[in-house]
Amino acid sequence: MAAGVAAWLPFARAAAIGWMPVASAPMPAPPRDKKRTQDGLIILNVSGSRFQTWRNTLERYPDTLLGSTERDFFYHEETNEYFFDRDPDIFRHILNFYRTGKLHYPRHECISAYDEELAFFGIIPEIIGDCCYEEYKDRRRENAERIQDDEDSNNNNDNVPLDLSFRESMWRAFENPHTSTMALVFYYVTGFFIAVSVLANVVETVPCGKTQNRVEESCGDRYSLAFFCLDTACVMIFTVEYLLRLMVAPNRFKFVKSVMSVIDVVAIMPYYIGLVMADNEDVSGAFVTLRVFRVFRIFKFSRHSAGLRILGYTLKSCASELGFLLFSLTMAIIIFATVMFYAEKGSSASKFTSIPAAFWYTIVTMTTLGYGDMVPKTIVGKVFGSICSLSGVLVIALPVPVIVSNFSRIYHQSQRADKRRAQKKTKLARIHAKKSGGCSAYSQYKRNGLLADADEEASKEAGQALVSQANPIFDTHHHHLLHCLEKTTNHEFVDEQTYNTSCLEVTMVKQTSRSSSISSATGGGGGGGLSSCCSRRNKRKSFTVANANMASRRGSVQELSTIQIRERPVSNSRSSLNAKFGETMPLNSSEQPYLTAAVINRPNQPLTTPQGNDSASTHDYLQSNIVRVSAL
Amino acid sequence: MKCCLVKWIIASTAPQGPDDISESELEMATVRHQPEGLDQLQTQTKFTRKELQSLYRGFKNECPSGLVDEETFKMIYSQFFPQGDATTYAHFLFNAFDTDRSGSIRFEDFVIGLSVLLRGSVNEKLRWAFNLYDINKDGYITKEEMLAIMTSIYDMMGRYTTPSVKDDAPFEHVEKFFQKMDKNRDGVVTFDEFIETCQKDDNIMSSMQLFENVI
Repeated sequence: MAAGVAAWLPFARAAAIGWMPVASAPMPAPPRDKKRTQDGLIILNVSGSRFQTWRNTLERYPDTLLGSTERDFFYHEETNEYFFDRDPDIFRHILNFYRTGKLHYPRHECISAYDEELAFFGIIPEIIGDCCYEEYKDRRRENAERIQDDEDSNNNNDNVPLDLSFRESMWRAFENPHTSTMALVFYYVTGFFIAVSVLANVVETVPCGKTQNRVEESCGDRYSLAFFCLDTACVMIFTVEYLLRLMVAPNRFKFVKSVMSVIDVVAIMPYYIGLVMADNEDVSGAFVTLRVFRVFRIFKFSRHSAGLRILGYTLKSCASELGFLLFSLTMAIIIFATVMFYAEKGSSASKFTSIPAAFWYTIVTMTTLGYGDMVPKTIVGKVFGSICSLSGVLVIALPVPVIVSNFSRIYHQSQRADKRRAQKKTKLARIHAKKSGGCSAYSQYKRNGLLADADEEASKEAGQALVSQANPIFDTHHHHLLHCLEKTTNHEFVDEQTYNTSCLEVTMVKQTSRSSSISSATGGGGGGGLSSCCSRRNKRKSFTVANANMASRRGSVQELSTIQIRERPVSNSRSSLNAKFGETMPLNSSEQPYLTAAVINRPNQPLTTPQGNDSASTHDYLQSNIVRVSAL
Repeated sequence: MKCCLVKWIIASTAPQGPDDISESELEMATVRHQPEGLDQLQTQTKFTRKELQSLYRGFKNECPSGLVDEETFKMIYSQFFPQGDATTYAHFLFNAFDTDRSGSIRFEDFVIGLSVLLRGSVNEKLRWAFNLYDINKDGYITKEEMLAIMTSIYDMMGRYTTPSVKDDAPFEHVEKFFQKMDKNRDGVVTFDEFIETCQKDDNIMSSMQLFENVI
């Protein structure tokens, strides 16, 4: 908790006097105060700048350097002060942390210097206050990235370590052409052949002259052999390159799945398929189609161009926005195409023969292209056509800058959301850890405390401090305060886990009952006034009674006494086990005619579930048991 | 019926509506309170000079304006009881310290209250406790007032306790308390009955001395 609040602990302890008159149990003894030193000033000399503060201020955080005995290592006898050879500017913030309980990060300081100082003085950066935490994390991330980049470029620029295998060195050559001359040569050669191949694809469709039949023929047909040789050469180079990459890839499966390898395959497959199917006239149409895929060779340039890769990544990352644009466009196209079709249905010789045919008109109009190959002739058609072109401007022109700004906004936002989520997680974890840590520290204190009462002497002789050294005075006093509260209410604190598991256990323990007497007993068992330990969840289970004979009941009750029953005297047959805590109030049968005897057994005995009622569950965490002893 | 009465008691001593709160918050922000001089406080309380100094330092650290309003008080007190809800009990405590009902605790109120609790005689401490329980300060502790106090104490325990706090646990506790304290069975506990019973109870008397060394 905040250091400032520690100053209020004496007040909280004093106010505990308000519990004393109503306490139901005697209070625990207060912790033995260690010899209290007079609160004095401490001088901290940091590279010449003198800081002074109270000793108590520093000791608020005993797990840091300044708050523990570790500072004695820096004590300078001659000048009676503690000397630290560190940065005084940053030390100012560290000292403020002790004073106010909040650690701030100064923006003008270098992040690594600050981190070093924090590490030296034993302060974990996670406690930086909310006001400065985001800035701190940002700077830290930038720094980490910078270090990572440096490392990467260092790795790349290093001379090839001699112990790299041939395979690994080949892979490096492929991925980073600047590493060796051979790799560079290979890089440029493949680039050249990609360009040549693409150019050949383009040129072979150019008309090159006329044949004898005065038919225009393309260059590809005229010089088919030359083009074929060129194509073969290119494909061979590409194939060799692909196979080489496949061979030396460290993770072949991953390589095969990657985008670049897919492009490579798509670029060279058409040639081989063409080879196989060359003489079959029926599939020549398909063969022609395949040649289209040769244009994918141009994508092989993306290995050579970082810009192309970035563009591809950008498109991929704002795919959802583009998808939405496409969707809204499709909606508008369908609407307007339908309207135009029905508007133009009446006119003669209308080009709008069907709605799909009208799609073309709508697209051309909405993108403000306006080819003019399809124009509406009716007045209604013209009206709707103009509406279409106007809305086209809106539909197309507006979302694009919105998408662009959306993209940048969403990108930054997601970064911030990730930061905040990570921060929230660590914050919740911190709170939870503090709570559970506090609870476990408290139970440890109680155990130590009880031990202390018992055998103080022995431990003194053993020379060990009973209270664990990690507990500062504040925690001891705070735990004593909580202990007093427990005694006042006669309940104990447990942590969440134990509480939950205890509830589960309770529901597991079922009641057995003699089958014969079950039916007769149920009548009185209704509405048993017991509350299970999950009463706050409003699960009221009723106890059914078994009129078992005394021996078995006593035996079972004996079992019960092993299940965490406190000072509950087992009286006789009418075991008047009371639901009231604190005292036993023996019940007279005259006063309470509806008491039912409860028999509770451990679950290892065969369970017979009683009639149709809810199965009873024992509440072995009640001081007294369920109890209504009935007169049967 | 009982619960309604208890709730009414709590509500009647609760702070005013939202308008007043925001106004008083504004005032709080600009008001600064300086305590009386050290010498005067020394005469009014049983603390030494050094103790007063260290008390004020802690007080001023938490409340730079020199005044503690109820919300801050509740927040500070709740930090000591993370498992439960200490706000209702903190509210009663606040009223016990804020003797002039000004809505905020000044350093003088704080230190005078602490002086009674830590350095006062047993009778003075019992008087303070009686004052705490007597919510409307009419000189009588009724069952409803006691139930309100008891419920707030049990609220501080929170959910995760063993044994589990049942819903009528505070009520049972109050019944026991009244059986012990209310001698003439008139349904209220007066100060004399309270003092008399406490003085006869060794547990209570010894626990009153418990926190002598707090400062």
